[in-house]
Amino acid sequence: MTALPTISASAIHVSPFLYVDRTLANGLRAIVIPDRRVPSAAINVAYRVGGKDDPAGRSGFAHLFEHLMFKGTSRTAPETIDRLTEDVGGFNNAFTTEDITNYYEVIPSNHLERLLWAEADRLASLTVNEANFATEREVVIGEYDQRILAEPYGLLDELVNREAYRVHPYRRGVIGSPAELNAAALDDVVAFHATYYRPDNAVVVVAGDCDVEETFGWIERYFGRIPTPSSPIPRVRVVEPPQTQERSFTHRAANAPLPALEEAYHIPEAAHPDAPALEVLEAVLGAGRSSRLYTTLVYERQLVTSAWASADLRQQPGLFGLRITCARGIALADARWALHEEVERVCSEPPSELELERVRTQIASALVRARQTNNGVAMALARATTERGDPAVVNTDLERYLAVSGADVQRVARTYLRVENRTAIEYLPA
Amino acid sequence: MNDGAPVMPAPGPPRDAAIPAAVERTLDNGLRVVAFEQRNLPLIAAQLIVGCGGAAEREEEAGLSAMVAALLTQGTTRRSATEIAAAIDALGARLDAGSGYDASVVSVSATTPAFGQSFALLNEIVRAPAFLAREVERVRTKSLSDLSLTYANPSALARLVAYRAAYAGAPYGHPLAGTAATLASLERDRVAWFHERFYRPDDATLVIGGDLTVDEAFAFAEGELGSWRAPDSPRCAVPDAVIPPPRARVVIVDKAESGRTALTVGGVTIPRRSPDYAAGVVANAVLTGYSGRVNQEIRVKRGLSYSASTSLPARRLPALFTASTLIDHGRAVEATEVMLATLRSLVDAPAGDDDLISRKATVTGGFYRGIETIDGIASALAEHVLFDLPLDELPRFPGRIAAVDASAVRRFAARWLVDDLCVTLVGDASRFAADLARTRDVRIIPGDQLDLGSPALEAEVVPVPPLLDADAVS
Repeated sequence: MTALPTISASAIHVSPFLYVDRTLANGLRAIVIPDRRVPSAAINVAYRVGGKDDPAGRSGFAHLFEHLMFKGTSRTAPETIDRLTEDVGGFNNAFTTEDITNYYEVIPSNHLERLLWAEADRLASLTVNEANFATEREVVIGEYDQRILAEPYGLLDELVNREAYRVHPYRRGVIGSPAELNAAALDDVVAFHATYYRPDNAVVVVAGDCDVEETFGWIERYFGRIPTPSSPIPRVRVVEPPQTQERSFTHRAANAPLPALEEAYHIPEAAHPDAPALEVLEAVLGAGRSSRLYTTLVYERQLVTSAWASADLRQQPGLFGLRITCARGIALADARWALHEEVERVCSEPPSELELERVRTQIASALVRARQTNNGVAMALARATTERGDPAVVNTDLERYLAVSGADVQRVARTYLRVENRTAIEYLPA
Repeated sequence: MNDGAPVMPAPGPPRDAAIPAAVERTLDNGLRVVAFEQRNLPLIAAQLIVGCGGAAEREEEAGLSAMVAALLTQGTTRRSATEIAAAIDALGARLDAGSGYDASVVSVSATTPAFGQSFALLNEIVRAPAFLAREVERVRTKSLSDLSLTYANPSALARLVAYRAAYAGAPYGHPLAGTAATLASLERDRVAWFHERFYRPDDATLVIGGDLTVDEAFAFAEGELGSWRAPDSPRCAVPDAVIPPPRARVVIVDKAESGRTALTVGGVTIPRRSPDYAAGVVANAVLTGYSGRVNQEIRVKRGLSYSASTSLPARRLPALFTASTLIDHGRAVEATEVMLATLRSLVDAPAGDDDLISRKATVTGGFYRGIETIDGIASALAEHVLFDLPLDELPRFPGRIAAVDASAVRRFAARWLVDDLCVTLVGDASRFAADLARTRDVRIIPGDQLDLGSPALEAEVVPVPPLLDADAVS
């Protein structure tokens, strides 16, 4: 055996994000982080509204609404944001999670002011008519068909959420159901915009080639004039009761070529003190080819063709998922047995110091890589602010990961990876 | 509007982007080294481009170059696969090996303090792979499982069928990942033979750069790869392509169980080195992207699909242009007609010079974003190496795009994107095949009869003779 090359995670210099964070009089939070290396800038506008906030009987609405934000305003034609970004050599997109909706643009920096204007404009004066509402709903149902129906195992995420949660709206997922999307009406759009799209429910982040004071001046000029309603923003207060018994379900699909399985365990919210240890647990089990699941299940025993661990930390209590896809000719029961052995192992003894140092170095290296693009920087700040309540956590994450001990990992494994806390979905060929 | 709201501000004056200069040297063993310095983050990347890829495989050995690349990280004469994986993860590095049609590429990236040891690992896997029989079996099993996933995805399958339909038995026709039959027949000795013969310093280029000086980069190259020796045998050669003459037709793979129908329209076009490449890139940009004509017609105007896009890859030999989307089975005919009409619109309703300003900006913007990262700069330089383009072409690329005018785009489209296109559909044929057959030359292949190992796409057809006999190059 050749000696393992090593470096210490502490040798990797992860420079802090040097951002300026201000809140406007109307409650809008604005964060600016300059980097004048290339003549490009990224904007992220994140709203604290996601799939869990969908109105009753309207699952998928927050995501459908995200699409409608591209349909024009009282001053601009539909697709204006695309014109203002793509046509000048930039790009834009948006995504909706269970908790937030994030809109972003990357543009040549001489277009920064113009895009800040456009983002403020669609926050202030979105207009949607029946025709583009109907077309966009078809597009979203097309997205459902493409991502959920046509993709092998596409329904697995939906099934996990639906069965792991009994009362919390996380059970509805983000994409929703075509039936409930079809039930949505234009009135719902107007009400949703008025309820959630307001300055005090948003954070604007600018990263890249900009002057800090000039940029805050633009943000004040275009966003500062948008009024904040006096009504409170509705928040999900439902608490999922502790699960007391294992749940197990089987789904069959014609386009699932090999048996697959996900087992999901309830875990606390992203801001919980156990979150860093859960992320280290995820890496011990699933990050890289020397991770436990890959080494044992994929490589040594060849029971599965892929194995995946994910600490899905959300604004409210999330799920720790373990997912496997059987290798050809392997029975799911055998692969599952081996997966459970790995769960028992991480519960019964702490990972070694060598294993932890590997994970720390992987995490520190990933943090350096995430700083390579302006949009990566802007998105990290937008997500930290909306999902974890504070942009400053981006500068202390590494410290928190480095402080996780083997005993911490074993403790969170024992606390959360319990049989009665587990929901299992078997996804089998029809 | 006059509600006191500010009007849309004008853009400010554009700022120029600096592209790091590449410096090159050739080592005594023939290895070409291209180095650059980019210091904003503590990261260094290296890519070794080996000038032999899947295009050189024999038909019955489809998947060989991919298997060689996959096995490089699965054990050396000094380290087992598990030890290599442990080493990479302990360094927080990325080490990958893969094979395309035109070349095989081994790449590494790491933080500055981890780079030296990571680069030494790259050297070790390139020069001293073990190709143990049990690792060959493991990769074979994994590749077979991956194939069954690919075949279950209609979009991925349509793409493979489109390549086979366009190129038949010519290079680029066979699937790079092989087929169940070819994977089953690949022997360990052939894997070792391919590596020994074609992974060699006199047919390879190392691109290396990031948080170091170019002199430090050359020192890394010399220190690790300077002692690598080339064999006496001739270098890899891909035979001249014998691409079948294109003709307009429809190939349908009947898979009633697929959730949606995948559509890919394909046509063989030009190689990367063609003087028309820039015009092709701009023509493709008029068609693709969210604001491109194809997505506008298929998604935005008609809601036929969540997305539709086109692609013109850069290749040594004439590349396959593709236009793809995924639709409901019942709307496959409409989507096919809309897609073909949209391609034809480049000739019937050509983009004017003013329209092109924005479409060209998408190309140039994408180019600059691509070189925002160290890996991106290395990849851009590697592409120039791969296609034998001078390295100073890299900073000239935006200028080449700017010089494309409307008539060049229309000419390119008229020559390559309108006539003799092959339409591939993978989905429930009972829902659309009869309708299409009324106006078009349609061939239906039952899903269980599809054989991507055959240039004719179906089982039972005798394969054409191999284009590259292994002994012909010795």
